[in-house]
Amino acid sequence: MPHLSDELSGIVGARHVLQRATELLVYESDALPGYHKRPRLAVFPGTGDEVIAVVRALHRARVAFVPRGAGTGLSGGALADDVVLIGLQRMRKIISVDPAARSAVVEPGVVNTSLTKAATPFGLHYAPDPSSQTACTIGGNVAENAGGPHCLKYGVTLNHVLAASIVLPGGDVVRLERPGENDTAYDLLGAYVGSEGCFGVTLDVTVRLTPNPEAIRTMLADFTSVDDAARATSAIVAAGILPAALELMDHGTIEAVESSIYAAGYPRDAAAVLLIEVDGALAGLDDDVSAVQRICRECGARDIRTASDAGERARLWQGRKKAFGAMGRVAPHLAVQDAVVPRTKLAPILARIAEIGARHRIHVCNVFHAGDGNLHPNVPYNGNDPDEAARVHAAMREIMELCIAEGGTITGEHGVGLDKIGYMERLFPGESLDAMCRLRDAFDPERRANPGKVVPSHRCREWLAAPGAHT
Amino acid sequence: MTSRPATAAELAGMIRDAHDRRTRLRVVARGTWQGCTASVAPDAAVLDVSGLSGILEYVPGDLTLTARAGTTVAEVDAATRAHGQWCPLLPWGGDEGTLGATFATATHGPCSASFGAPRDLAIGMEFVDGTGALIRAGGRVVKNVAGFDLTRLLVGSWGTLGVITEVSVRLRARPAVDETWSVAIDAGGGARARLEEFRRGPLAPLAIEEFETGTLVRLGGNAAFVAASREIVMTLGAADPRDTGIWTRLRQSDPKPRGPLASSALADPLSTRVKKQFDPRHILNPGIMGEAYA
Ligand SMILES: Cc1cc2nc3c(=O)[nH]c(=O)nc-3n(C[C@H](O)[C@H](O)[C@H](O)COP(=O)(O)OP(=O)(O)OC[C@H]3O[C@@H](n4cnc5c(N)ncnc54)[C@H](O)[C@@H]3O)c2cc1C
Ligand SMILES: Cc1cc2nc3c(=O)[nH]c(=O)nc-3n(C[C@H](O)[C@H](O)[C@H](O)COP(=O)(O)OP(=O)(O)OC[C@H]3O[C@@H](n4cnc5c(N)ncnc54)[C@H](O)[C@@H]3O)c2cc1C
Repeated sequence: MPHLSDELSGIVGARHVLQRATELLVYESDALPGYHKRPRLAVFPGTGDEVIAVVRALHRARVAFVPRGAGTGLSGGALADDVVLIGLQRMRKIISVDPAARSAVVEPGVVNTSLTKAATPFGLHYAPDPSSQTACTIGGNVAENAGGPHCLKYGVTLNHVLAASIVLPGGDVVRLERPGENDTAYDLLGAYVGSEGCFGVTLDVTVRLTPNPEAIRTMLADFTSVDDAARATSAIVAAGILPAALELMDHGTIEAVESSIYAAGYPRDAAAVLLIEVDGALAGLDDDVSAVQRICRECGARDIRTASDAGERARLWQGRKKAFGAMGRVAPHLAVQDAVVPRTKLAPILARIAEIGARHRIHVCNVFHAGDGNLHPNVPYNGNDPDEAARVHAAMREIMELCIAEGGTITGEHGVGLDKIGYMERLFPGESLDAMCRLRDAFDPERRANPGKVVPSHRCREWLAAPGAHT
Repeated sequence: MTSRPATAAELAGMIRDAHDRRTRLRVVARGTWQGCTASVAPDAAVLDVSGLSGILEYVPGDLTLTARAGTTVAEVDAATRAHGQWCPLLPWGGDEGTLGATFATATHGPCSASFGAPRDLAIGMEFVDGTGALIRAGGRVVKNVAGFDLTRLLVGSWGTLGVITEVSVRLRARPAVDETWSVAIDAGGGARARLEEFRRGPLAPLAIEEFETGTLVRLGGNAAFVAASREIVMTLGAADPRDTGIWTRLRQSDPKPRGPLASSALADPLSTRVKKQFDPRHILNPGIMGEAYA
């Protein structure tokens, strides 16, 4: 498309438009292994006005596009199959920080931790903390409604986005705001968060900043069975304690972490550990700590260690945050899974997952947001071995079916993207999928934003009749 | 004319029928908020959803609950109280209204700043749109990003995009200590500033409501937390203890009147397109936002 690339070059400058296969290579995949899609071209606007001009040019040309942040997505959401990729990574300005209002306005390419860094001088931070936070962007977080360990207490991205400006695929710019107590309007911001790049391109985001807690207690509870650790999790939740974070790592994960450069001092002979953090006002905090310790002991914990200083705390967390990376070193490939189940069913479901893994002769490593029931049964494997790859695939399918059957869901934070689109019909009846298509149609009537993702297109009424349906 | 379906399927059938015949509908639950549908087309047939009632699933250990839309807030409160939990909506208007209406109108309450607004507490929904399609949104688990978020879309849509038939909510443990003080905030000595600091600080109370006659402060948490909070309250001015029931009475007597959807809600083209997708024949609560209907 020489015409279009000239036009886009005119908007952003020729060096910010990539077309050669070698240059596009890094944009052919995201963090979901095994998928490669070549974009037709990639364009990297540097300002909101440039994004708008690019989207309008694509609108005039009736060309589909995919927004992309840092490409750390785990569901293939940022893959562009012969359509235009709009990379937002140049847009990393923190426009303003307002300590009195506890909010900040940022461009979409701002990296999650940079925002917290900018808020630190004011005693504030940005609470949603995906483990990829040193790389992923706020634009990508908003698109995926990203979570993280501390979202157990503080809530996911949705709860921290106050407003966003977006350019719709048709070229109009709209401002979406979180409805206040006395506002009466559709919560289109709520509908937009988590829309996986299918509703438009985020130009700027106003986020809520959270005061740093007065005190923090980080504990590592060590269990000789996964079942005990899962029961302790359910018991803590049921007791009404709301930890800031409650993470479970099983033996496979502990081994991977301890064998890597991220070694955190986790007990290598434990069947599972719980990383539990409580925070908030100093007054009353140690009562919560005692209650958590008591419950863990009652559920069979061998030992409970409490981090005595910030350094030890950081080390305990580093193991958790880098667990995916550590697993990635165990084998050439890593299948990352994401599902949510009711918290009271964690123990039996983990047992079933272990049984599924054994039957398919694969090695499931669990590392997950236990307090939310948000599982990540990951599998390091060699994808070059077709037999092993097939077994991993079959096991993953069974695990997802199990989570659905137990009243759970197919993704708690990584999104549907391309990877999980096949499960959507198992989870939702046809009329629900059609309703999702209709919501998307209100934002993107020509269906040009991130085509082929999230909802299977044959589930949308009149899909084939829509212009742009085939682009 | 009034219809009062007993099941979601029956309700879907009625709306499908109304859609086919272009019959306008006025959606009513317990009708505790007289007047909020005053501007709805006078010839609209009444669709009463209060018959869709009852708690469908409550697993205390999961801290989640699913109930039919016509279940009253009071029923949910009673069921969860038995397990030391609550659904912390605590809406203005009191607890005789229904769960469905509270979410449909996104009614806040005095504790919303600490526990979250209705949009933060809903985890899933079932509703019937203006074509009669019965739609499931979200789920029953506390974290879920599968598909586009129809739950958030329906919260606060005032029955104009769909009639809610079922809601799943997240619950919280009731605070171990829950106490209320009526404080005459000192005029001088920096008491005002201390109140602001209190509201924003680590010992933030569950609720603060200011009246001409005094300020009500609700403290909640474990014993040590509340003891520390109480010390701050004592620095604000003369304080008298009140029973917690005062909040229920307050919510009933002072429902914080606001209008239903402002007409501006439909003024922007994006909202108009959303409305067309979910209620193409404009039969659900037509005119509730003061908008024109043909
Ligand atoms: C090691 C590792 C750990 C992770 N841990 C977590 C975790 O704990 N919690 C969690 O939730 N996720 C986690 N993730 C997944 C991933 O980091 C998140 O989904 C993140 O939000 C993606 O951000 P990104 O900038 O990389 O977006 P990308 O991968 O580039 O894109 C993701 C989606 O967002 C859309 N998008 C991006 N920018 C925009 C924009 N400006 N406007 C509109 N749409 C846009 C894309 O189209 C795509 O659909 C992890 C990933 C890795 C690799
Ligand atoms: C006197 C009084 C005044 C109030 N004033 C206000 C106020 O100004 N602002 C405020 O926010 N709250 C107000 N409330 C709170 C209001 O009561 C709550 O929204 C309540 O839960 C209503 O419950 P209900 O079952 O009686 O609803 P109803 O009064 O029957 O209906 C309220 C509204 O919700 C819609 N609705 C009801 N059920 C559904 C459903 N299942 N699906 C879709 N739409 C539905 C109706 O169409 C109507 O517009 C007031 C309450 C009272 C008692």
